[in-house]
Amino acid sequence: MTAPLAPTPRVATRRRASLLRSVLRQPLGAVALAVIALFVIVAIIGPWIVPGDAYTAHLDAILLPPGPDHILGTDPSGRDVLSRLIIATRSSMLGAAIALVVAAAIGISTGLIAGYYRGWFESVFSYGASLFLALPSMVVLLAARSVIGPNLWWAMVIFGVIVSPAFYRLTFATVAGVRHELYVDAARTSGLSDVRIVGRHILSVVRAPVIIQAAGIAGVAIGIQAGLEFLGMGDAKLITWGGMLNDGFQAIYRQPWLLAWPTLALVLISVALTLVANTLRDVLERSSSARRSRSSEQAPAVYTIPAGTALSVRDLEVAYGDDKAKQAVVVRNVSFDVAPGEVLGLVGESGSGKTQTAFAILDVLPGGGRITAGCVALAGKVTTQAERAHERGRSVAYIPQEPMSNLDPSYTIGAQLTKPMRKCAKMTKTEANANALRLLNRVGIANPERVMGLYPHQVSGGMAQRVLIAGAIATEPDVLIADEPTTALDVTVQAEVLDLLRDLQAEFGMAMVIVTHNFGVVADICDRVAVMQDGSIVETGDVESVFDHPQHPYTRELLGAILDDASVRELPSPTTTNGVLS
Amino acid sequence: MKFSYRATAVTAVGVLALAACSSSDNDPGAEPSSSTASTETGAAMAPLLNLGVVDSPGQGGFVAADMSFATKAPYGQAIYDTLVRATPDNLLEPALASDWGYDSGKTELTLKLRDDVKFTDGTDFNADAAAQNILRFRDGSAENANWLANVSDAVAKDPHTLVITLSAPDPALLLNLSRAAGYQQSPASFDTDTPVGSGPYVLDQAASVVDASYIFDANPDYWASDYQHYDEIAMTVFDDPVSMQNALMGDQLDAALFTGYQGFDQIEGAGYTAHEYAQDWEGLLLFDRTGQLSEPMGDVRVRQSINFAIDKEGLLQGLAGGRGEVTTQVFGKETPGYDAELEYAYPYDPEKAKSLLAEAGYADGFTIDFPTVSFVPQATFDLVGQQLAEVGITANFTDIAPQDYFPTMLGGNVALASFRLEQPATAWETYSLELSQGAPWNSFHTPDDAVAGYGEIIQTGSDADSAAAAAELNKYIVDQAWFNPWYRTITTFYTDAETDVTPQVGNVYPYLWNIVPVTN
Amino acid sequence: MGRFIARRILAGISLLFVITSAAYFLLYLSGGDVARNLLGPTASDAQVAAKATELGLDQPLLNRYWDWLSGALTGDFGTSWASRAPVTELLSGRVAVTLTIVVAAVIVSGIGAVVLGSLASSRGGWVDRTIQVASLVGAAVPGFLIAMVLVLVVAINLGWFEPTGYINPSTSITGWLSTAVLPITALAVAGVAGVTQQVRGSMLDERRKDYVRTLECRGLSSRTITYQHVLRNASGPALNVLALMFVAMLGGAVVVEQVFSIPGLGKLTVTSTLSSDVPVIMGIVVVTVVLVVILNLLIDLLQAWLNPKVRLS
Repeated sequence: MTAPLAPTPRVATRRRASLLRSVLRQPLGAVALAVIALFVIVAIIGPWIVPGDAYTAHLDAILLPPGPDHILGTDPSGRDVLSRLIIATRSSMLGAAIALVVAAAIGISTGLIAGYYRGWFESVFSYGASLFLALPSMVVLLAARSVIGPNLWWAMVIFGVIVSPAFYRLTFATVAGVRHELYVDAARTSGLSDVRIVGRHILSVVRAPVIIQAAGIAGVAIGIQAGLEFLGMGDAKLITWGGMLNDGFQAIYRQPWLLAWPTLALVLISVALTLVANTLRDVLERSSSARRSRSSEQAPAVYTIPAGTALSVRDLEVAYGDDKAKQAVVVRNVSFDVAPGEVLGLVGESGSGKTQTAFAILDVLPGGGRITAGCVALAGKVTTQAERAHERGRSVAYIPQEPMSNLDPSYTIGAQLTKPMRKCAKMTKTEANANALRLLNRVGIANPERVMGLYPHQVSGGMAQRVLIAGAIATEPDVLIADEPTTALDVTVQAEVLDLLRDLQAEFGMAMVIVTHNFGVVADICDRVAVMQDGSIVETGDVESVFDHPQHPYTRELLGAILDDASVRELPSPTTTNGVLS
Repeated sequence: MKFSYRATAVTAVGVLALAACSSSDNDPGAEPSSSTASTETGAAMAPLLNLGVVDSPGQGGFVAADMSFATKAPYGQAIYDTLVRATPDNLLEPALASDWGYDSGKTELTLKLRDDVKFTDGTDFNADAAAQNILRFRDGSAENANWLANVSDAVAKDPHTLVITLSAPDPALLLNLSRAAGYQQSPASFDTDTPVGSGPYVLDQAASVVDASYIFDANPDYWASDYQHYDEIAMTVFDDPVSMQNALMGDQLDAALFTGYQGFDQIEGAGYTAHEYAQDWEGLLLFDRTGQLSEPMGDVRVRQSINFAIDKEGLLQGLAGGRGEVTTQVFGKETPGYDAELEYAYPYDPEKAKSLLAEAGYADGFTIDFPTVSFVPQATFDLVGQQLAEVGITANFTDIAPQDYFPTMLGGNVALASFRLEQPATAWETYSLELSQGAPWNSFHTPDDAVAGYGEIIQTGSDADSAAAAAELNKYIVDQAWFNPWYRTITTFYTDAETDVTPQVGNVYPYLWNIVPVTN
Repeated sequence: MGRFIARRILAGISLLFVITSAAYFLLYLSGGDVARNLLGPTASDAQVAAKATELGLDQPLLNRYWDWLSGALTGDFGTSWASRAPVTELLSGRVAVTLTIVVAAVIVSGIGAVVLGSLASSRGGWVDRTIQVASLVGAAVPGFLIAMVLVLVVAINLGWFEPTGYINPSTSITGWLSTAVLPITALAVAGVAGVTQQVRGSMLDERRKDYVRTLECRGLSSRTITYQHVLRNASGPALNVLALMFVAMLGGAVVVEQVFSIPGLGKLTVTSTLSSDVPVIMGIVVVTVVLVVILNLLIDLLQAWLNPKVRLS
């Protein structure tokens, strides 16, 4: 259920405020942030905390090794290395910041404009970007130096301009990618000005990649700056890490330690920058771990499962977050049975936990989510996580909500249909092909041979959904989980797909769970219905009795809303703020 | 990249250097020495010499008339013969010229040429070719074209007699004919892409990579086989001393001129023998002796004050790791005019420096613009600026782009500069490079009757008069504090166990035929 | 597709024109006294003036630019001011050297990054953290330091490779390996590190997409999903980064070739910029731009091949 409008500002603020905390919660992120903070502090207060004299040369103290008087030793002019390292922090960090700000300002703004408006903006800016990318920066900086003199700040401004295509390309690609997404279209049709759309919807999309890129660029800028100094093109009057590297390099055989300190500073700050960015990215996009969390289901013996059920769920609880105290419980205490050949409708609004329940049964909860209590039984037998994973694509199948995004854009429909047959059902290529053709035919696709060779972007949503249904029933499963199978489709197609599902269910005698917010669908296809609210089942029963005599006020509210305005697909609710999409 | 700048500097130093080479024990105007050379080993040829060089042939390529010398000497010496040959001590020996002599006015030099030499393109070497080569070098773009500046004409009197007429006596002429000015290129190859000589080796153009490595094969018909020791010589260019050190320690070179400031112990530890010789002096050039740019500098007491303010011994230890000798004079140890007494003229004495400044009316010190450049180690400026500051002279450092440093120094745009100059082996070269009114390193072209008077005696006087005048000149320059030399630096040439070398007095790179295989 | 390629080539040519013009004028600004620098401090003013005339430095800028441009259009890039060698001859050998090293480093980076990036994104946990930290450090250490360490430790102390120089693979493969492995490694460290981060990131992005869940529900193993679906779809952005890495390595070659004393394009860039050898610098600019244009074209084609949406439209 894609929300047609962006999250409310309240939600957004809350997420942002917790961002820093989320980064801090990651051990690596916290350390990296601490390192950056340390460097920033040193850059600011450096001149007041130096232990020795960073500037005055001492003939009698040349190239001393680290010792009590000079903790990090002295340089070829007899100056305290630690003091110089501290002083250098400011100019080095400031130089990088200048390059970064210039690059980001130019790259992001042009990227936004070009990506959003396309047309000649795109042509001009992309041309400019490739121009800068192909310019040998060495020649540019050398030429610039003889025009502007040995000024580090201007050199970094110029470098910022040269690297701005990095931001441009990233922003452009991201913006061009989301420009026609539903929610942007929706915002546009709802009359929002371009500036507001860009500011609100598009900037939020590019934020994460830009932050990651920024850390990278900051690192590169620090490195390039060091390189410039190292090559003797920097400002001799400034103390910088690059200049210190140069000193060290000249004396590498006399005092190798000299090289170590500025290197350490350079590496530390670059690593910290990137680390923070990566952590940010993981936090922002909730993908810190791709690994599915281990479920802690109850021991099988606790539950008695009635014989003859195809699917039973008992006291199911699903939560996100590893920390017990802070985890968010999205499904609690859910129990139901589905007999072979029976259709259960799992009904509720966005965020009620119905899709989470479906994912838990399939063992495909997004990263960080896991079953924390209860159990899932298949064919009367309580299953472990591994068993459920094994049954996927065999006795349990899944039909998704959004047909287009559930097909891999890189493979033909034929390839996507036959691959599971060959891998799971061990069919030969010919068998799989024949089987796929038969299935496509069965789900009502007129020209299966042609469709097999098409890519997902070449077919309509309705046809894609039929393909997905064909894929789901390929192994003649006992249990079919359909997550809003008609929601994303045109109204005219919805009925056809429902008809198809009903026919197939009857034909194969499958137990089926339909996750939906739509009582029309329930009325059309379900035998029984379970109404969910805030992660719990509030009412369950035969379709007829629930429709005729809804017991729970929430059920009545839902039914009432449908009667009021049948065309609304999504039921707005003030309680939809827990951030987990159902 | 920094390193290649340094290489540039070395080249330039070399340029001066070459101006500097000369004979000390031998009057360059004299008859050919009868002593036969030191390098006649007569040993069998060794197969291959891997030679490390510090720069490529440069803008002149391999065109004899445009070639440089100094650090680039091996390139020319591989493919060209010179009219005369200098021993490592700069005694002159016959080469393409078997005999020579001046007229009484020292303005006409007659050379008898060998009649049995052919260029490697098969054409004959003769006086006509020699005359053309002399004039081409004088008029060419070689950085040392001024070596033949006094040549007014060169003609072939007969096929084997060359007569060079001079506009004024030139004490260094014959010595210069043993260097690049004496290279003899086949006239048939003057306007082609492949210059041809008569020398011991032939450039293998196909196997060479311009600016990186040059391969030379032995000339099978070479007329002076005593000066040819290898079947093949591979010269590899290292414009960065750290890379050269790596190559040495990786045992990739048999012999190399090393221009680095560090790593000496490691290279010797890797089995190389160091051959060390004092070649350059390092210090401040106090250009503005008339106070045009910086008024205080026009006062001799201020210039002397600078000399007292600098701790030379400290700089030698701090900047050169003690590899060198403290000095006060621009005349080299081997140069006529050198005076050991003068070495102690300006001991480190900041108090004296301050009182001299006060005497000159600068009790509160003064500020002076001081150019810095990336190829001179930053520590130099740090330390010198520090020592000047201690006596009240504030150095206002301005960084100059490397490619602008020479024009800045030589164009009279700075009152002083820190640099390293070669110590010419003859007084005449020292005079005409650093002291005469027209000398390039006298960049404000300070006129000085005393200096000019000594110069004239050096140019035209007898050996004894010349040497006496040189000594007077040297003392005068030190008294007047035209310069602030700190120390003579050590140049190091490395050879491996299978190779030996005899360094050349007055040239930074040993002459090619003096790099020989060790015969056991 | 044909029209697409033609358009890209046209754009490339105009790019070449704009950049070379800009470079020529920038070089003019950075001028300095070229003739004096070439001849050295002892050359006479007359010699310097003669040299300036010989090089055409006394001509107005536009005339000089026109001479260069008309020459370049016929494939004649002139003669090096600093070494008198024809620019095309100087460049031809060096381009091959640098390209060999850079392409090898790019291939190593690509392979290394795919292996490490997919490992990191699919395994998570300490594997992910180790790879992340390693790639961060690898990307953060300046290239010249890596090169120096390799020379000192691997070439000199261990004696496994040659510390300086370059041998063409056509002369001797083992010789090539002995001279090329270290520079390739020095370049590839940053390459592997940078691209690994990108591969990891895009694979994590990709892994969150709906079709991955559907494929899981079809019973495909996570291995199949990772390598055949996630990686394939993540390779688009990774390829872009690899292309950027290629350009970056052309720049990195400057430093690496300097440290290993390899006669390649990078080293030539350094020497020619230092001596203000305009014909050579311009030759390098042309070669670099042509390389980048070709590279981008190749990347576009590869992207099209990977992405049916682009390929079929």
